[in-house]
Amino acid sequence: MSNSSIEARIALVGNPNAGKTTLFNALTGQNQKVGNYTGATVSRKSGTFFTPHGNKFELIDLPGAYSLDPNSPDEEITRNVLIGDQEGEETPNLVLCVLDATHLERHLYLLIQVIDLGYPVVVALNKTDSAEDQGLRLNPTALSESFGVPFVAISAMTERGITQLKQALRHPFPSPPGRIWKGPAELEEAIKKSTKLAETNGENNPAASGLMAVVNEGSEAKEFIQKTRFEFIHRAVEVGLQRPDQESLALTDAIDAHALHPVKGWCIFTALMITVFWSIFKFAEMPMSWIEEGQETLQGSMGDFIGEGDFQSLIVDGIIAGVGGVLVFLPQITLLFFFISLLESTGYMARAAYLMDGIMNKVGLSGKSFLPLLSGYACAIPGIMATRTIPNTKERLATILILPWTSCTARLPVYTLIIPLIFVGALQQGLALFGIYAVGTVTALLAAKILKPRLGKTEASQFLLELPPYQKPQWKHVLRQVGERAFAFIKKAGTVILGLSIILWFLETYPKSDSDDPIVQQAESFNGQIGEIIEPVVAPLGWDTRMGTAMIASFAAREVFRSSIAISYATDEEDGEEMRDKLSASTHSDGTALYTPLVGLSVIVFFIYALQCLPTTVIVRRETGSWKWALGQLAGMTIFAYLAALLVYQIGKLLGYS
Amino acid sequence: MATLATDLELDSALTLSQAAIGCDFQIRQVEGPACSQLRDIGFCEQMRVKKLTNGRNMLCTVCGTRLALSKDLADQIQVVPA
Repeated sequence: MSNSSIEARIALVGNPNAGKTTLFNALTGQNQKVGNYTGATVSRKSGTFFTPHGNKFELIDLPGAYSLDPNSPDEEITRNVLIGDQEGEETPNLVLCVLDATHLERHLYLLIQVIDLGYPVVVALNKTDSAEDQGLRLNPTALSESFGVPFVAISAMTERGITQLKQALRHPFPSPPGRIWKGPAELEEAIKKSTKLAETNGENNPAASGLMAVVNEGSEAKEFIQKTRFEFIHRAVEVGLQRPDQESLALTDAIDAHALHPVKGWCIFTALMITVFWSIFKFAEMPMSWIEEGQETLQGSMGDFIGEGDFQSLIVDGIIAGVGGVLVFLPQITLLFFFISLLESTGYMARAAYLMDGIMNKVGLSGKSFLPLLSGYACAIPGIMATRTIPNTKERLATILILPWTSCTARLPVYTLIIPLIFVGALQQGLALFGIYAVGTVTALLAAKILKPRLGKTEASQFLLELPPYQKPQWKHVLRQVGERAFAFIKKAGTVILGLSIILWFLETYPKSDSDDPIVQQAESFNGQIGEIIEPVVAPLGWDTRMGTAMIASFAAREVFRSSIAISYATDEEDGEEMRDKLSASTHSDGTALYTPLVGLSVIVFFIYALQCLPTTVIVRRETGSWKWALGQLAGMTIFAYLAALLVYQIGKLLGYS
Repeated sequence: MATLATDLELDSALTLSQAAIGCDFQIRQVEGPACSQLRDIGFCEQMRVKKLTNGRNMLCTVCGTRLALSKDLADQIQVVPA
């Protein structure tokens, strides 16, 4: 279907947790497109749908907002699109406002703001089934009369009322109801003047820009307008909504009595987190082995298919090994996203943020930093993107800067290779892995405490969070989100990692040596030459040239360390046992063992702290808007990692460890 | 007379952080550096609020929505018994 057949653009707005995305999915089905707003990393979701009258509309899912006075970058996008100030985005022809019927009074504020901007509006009164269950009696007709816009009762989750909603979106759209309040003459005059000025300046939506300018100009006008709007809402709700006489102890209250309890709440939280991490490692085992087997089979058959030579080496050892080595983590990453999405969908994530606020506050952050940091255990990139919900700019920056120290899954292949060289027995190895995660997390939090006051003066961080009612997971939504994340990861493997694998292969393969010995070839290659140059730098850490080159290669992506070591030691990357045997048997030129427990520890410490992920640096640049922070973070973390590994090795040696 | 009634009502107002747990209140005034953010999320004059817990971050419900807010923010909300 061509874009030209779209008859109008409809913007979907609503408070967070109003069910906006569920309604978006119910209306557009599979006809969705995900992109980014120009100049921002806030994702732009749009889709198309047909009304029963045969009109084709484009629906744009704007980020959730409590009001049009933005408190976060997400809310800013919503405001900018509606006042016609968002680069590359046309102003919508109609606004579809989603209101949560169970929290009607609060959500109506955003509706009034949208109506004030002069748009034709249709209201989707969502979660009416939950409202009925709570004994709330809604009167959509009375509400429609009060606000001058159609209210359609729906339940996006069960898709009840969707047809009626589509019917209400009849084209041509009704004329906008206009502002439903009047201010004193002085204020009205100021709005008039401001609107004229916006008109002269050629603003896309002069009425909206004019009103916004007045609201933002003085706190007195803003306070008056806010109060007047709420008074209007109060009167409208009196006729449009009847509450039950007695508030019953709802399921949410009953669960929260335990989940937010100062002692029981922490027990539940800890148990949930342990279950999540245990499940990630346990359930990912099998699919990971399938991917490994698939990769081996593919390498084998491609090796047979293509004759021996450089091209075979590029395909088998470069591309398939490089991309496969990263794709193997897909199950773990998918599972972590599944659990995060599940916890969000049920409403528990906000409780976790509430509980964590106490700890976070001690290091200058708030509970809102918890979710990004948790996501960081899967991958720093979505974690950094999730910081957009943190309204305090300095807190957001501090969270972005420390986030790569929460150990992501890309570090796992290195840890699982080195830990068995130091510790024997499953229990000890498990505890060592837990210790690695703990060291990274504790250092990250301490760094936040030191960093935050140095980032400049900031408004005090205030904790204000909505705790949505508990609900059954919306499986469709959860699976869709997990699918999107998995696809993004596969895309990364198919682009960035593929490119890096080819470059690495080239550096390992050329210039060609006369010798057939892979170790000689490695030493004479570009990579080997680089290793020679950096040997004086890595020698104080107890490392040899091969580890040095593997470390350099892993700055592009950590996962590459394992494949680079495998190539250097001429061993099979997939066979961890064989690889460890080779590493254990390798020696310095004087015959002393190379991979001692102390050297292993120094490698691990380096990997805990080093920021070896180019995509992360690119995303930090985009999110902070400056290379200064991105490169500063990269340099700072590298120097810290080097010094930490150096201290561990040198102090260990002084204490008589080997 | 009306002024006296308003004064008396304001005298009996207390901040949300001082309010007792489990009781219903009506918001009388929202004043302070974060008043705009508080109003946006639903803490506006005349709204009914019920406090659920005390502490550094307290829980309360406004128009059926459960919200957690810090003590500093709760100090900016003046309430009277409903």
